Amino acid sequence: MTVRMVGCSHHTSSTEARGRLAFSPGEVGPALESLRSRFPTTEAVLLSTCNRVEVYTAFDDDDAAGPTQQQVAEFLAEFHGLDVGEIFHDLFERTGEEAVRHLFSVAASLDSMVVGEPQILAQVKQAYELATSCRSTGPVTNQVFQAALRVAKRVANETSINEKRVSIPSVAVADFARNIFERFDDKQVLVIGAGEMAEETLRYLADLGARDVTVINRNAARAAELAERWQGKAYAWADLSVALAGADLVVSTTGASEPIVTLESYRAIEAERYQRGLFILDLAVPRDFDPAIGDCLNVYLYSLDDLRAACDRNRKDREREWPKAMAIVEQETARFMAELNHRATGSVIKRVKQGWKQQQDDELRRLFNKLPDLDDRERGEIRAAFERLTNKLLHPPLESLRDEAHQASHHGLVEAFQRLFKLKD
Amino acid sequence: MLAGISFTCFSASYLVALVLEVTRLFFRSGVRGALLLLFAGGGLLAHTLYLGHRAFTQQGAILSSELDWYLLAAWCLVVVYLYLTVYHPQTAFGLFVLPLVLGLVGVARFIADPVPFPRTEAAQVWGAIHGVFLLLGTVAVVVGFAVGLMALLQAYRLKHKLPPQRGLRLPSLEWLELMNIRATKFSALMLGLGFVSGIVLNLIHDRLHVEELPWTDPIIWSSGLLLAWLVAATGFAQFYRPARAGRKVAYLTVASFVFLVLSLGSQWLLPTHHSLGGQRPGQLHDQPTSNVPGATRAGPGGGP
Repeated sequence: MTVRMVGCSHHTSSTEARGRLAFSPGEVGPALESLRSRFPTTEAVLLSTCNRVEVYTAFDDDDAAGPTQQQVAEFLAEFHGLDVGEIFHDLFERTGEEAVRHLFSVAASLDSMVVGEPQILAQVKQAYELATSCRSTGPVTNQVFQAALRVAKRVANETSINEKRVSIPSVAVADFARNIFERFDDKQVLVIGAGEMAEETLRYLADLGARDVTVINRNAARAAELAERWQGKAYAWADLSVALAGADLVVSTTGASEPIVTLESYRAIEAERYQRGLFILDLAVPRDFDPAIGDCLNVYLYSLDDLRAACDRNRKDREREWPKAMAIVEQETARFMAELNHRATGSVIKRVKQGWKQQQDDELRRLFNKLPDLDDRERGEIRAAFERLTNKLLHPPLESLRDEAHQASHHGLVEAFQRLFKLKD
Repeated sequence: MLAGISFTCFSASYLVALVLEVTRLFFRSGVRGALLLLFAGGGLLAHTLYLGHRAFTQQGAILSSELDWYLLAAWCLVVVYLYLTVYHPQTAFGLFVLPLVLGLVGVARFIADPVPFPRTEAAQVWGAIHGVFLLLGTVAVVVGFAVGLMALLQAYRLKHKLPPQRGLRLPSLEWLELMNIRATKFSALMLGLGFVSGIVLNLIHDRLHVEELPWTDPIIWSSGLLLAWLVAATGFAQFYRPARAGRKVAYLTVASFVFLVLSLGSQWLLPTHHSLGGQRPGQLHDQPTSNVPGATRAGPGGGP
């Protein structure tokens, strides 16, 4: 059996090219059906995310109907109504062991644009489940995708490559906010300004259950717009100190050239807060909050530089984990290929043994007919001697075949066996 | 077979569990969690059998001596540790709780008196009540101390913008503050009840003219001082809102632990009648449960 992957990813193609080839969840089913109608004996799984579109196929080595890169390109072009020449150079191909290694790396998030991002594992799992529900998977794709999910979990458990966040909002929330607050559904989030990063941070906070959002902006219309999007409240700029007194978590991203909250203005509302914990994400450049506020009791003030430093540290940590993660992928790929090859050689070994056993039994029958005076003990001894001889004769070639099974180049020897021993399917 | 269980069995198990906890700081492991539960659980089992065997062979309650009291306090702490570890397997509770467990076992092993408290029929119930409340209060103070240390460490890390250290995952500050407040309130309540029951017990002894403790005994006023501190700390946390947040509440629980240590230490350092009689410390000990001496001793029963 051979596994092949044809597709494009962020390494080989532009965002536009990937966008042209992408499949929506609703399109995956019909696409797999279309692929099956072209290649009825081929197993297929289609993985389509914003960073990659990959078609995994598995078929018999001697199956002339196995799709080539050209055929997959034609299929993709036809499905999306494109010219094959337009997309062919965006596609790349991995076959056999390379395809398996590639899938394992993808599932373990080692091939992602942001290495270690956790979504890809769920996307691989979803693609496999969708293909299974469309009945386009088979023994090999089942084996290779289940192995890929296992490898991804192993990489996640044995390395910290996907533990560390590398984007500023995710670091702010995962590494710091979650260590201050146990829950977010009862916390007041105050957004000052309406920057893109503030909105991205809100997205992470909303995932953790944050509901109570207040937006303050010099531009009241923009504040109202953002507040509406997050089902929050918009306050007038003049109410900044009131909002700050009630807030648990502040995300500030204004374009002000001077701090909008000075130490004095914070001291003025400090008593109203009863020293309740306050987490401030000052994502503005220059800073919106006087750095001295960070020294106040129970105030945890983080600037963009602090978060950037944390991101860099995490990125370096991930880089340190990379060789360990790749070693796991290599080890699992070798193991998987050995298992796959063992399956291929297993049937040959079985047939060789069966053929020799048959001949051995025929010869023994003939011999026992010629020597009718032999008692049971003598017959047993002769039978055991024949078996020993057969095993000794077969041992070296079968051992060589088993050894070859661990290597990718075992096909030649399997073929030689089939010819030498006249094995037929 | 139970007679063969010694201090070494469970303290070695807890020590191995602590070493496993320390390894969190250095490397990841898929089997460490299971090994931790195995060693801590195995230690707890041996600990339980040891206490049970002592209670059975001495025909008394589990809290019948100072040694038993410390061992039971350590036992409760291990139960708390196992509970937290099962529900928060990634959090390094053991680094903070297991040294305290080993400390209590160490006090039981080397300092606490193994001789049973005297038993009069009238005092037996009040002695048990006194001991149980003091035990629960002490465990709450010790848990509060561990949680307080975690809160101080977490607050320091967040204030200094340090990234979460691999292997030293701590609960959120909010959770730690909540646990600190609960530990303070619970310990004040339990130690208050323990103190009151101790007074009742002493009054009974006084009436029966047996083994009464002078009201000026250092153990009484040091316990009173501990209780006064806990009541003040609880009141402070209850009525002064800023005391419920951040490092303040952690300092309260750490200070409570210091008062507890002073209070418990006073019975060895100051001339007290509370734990006199029979043998003095350090005379038991790594011998199997069947060989533990069981002579009578003076003292008001129940707690140490």
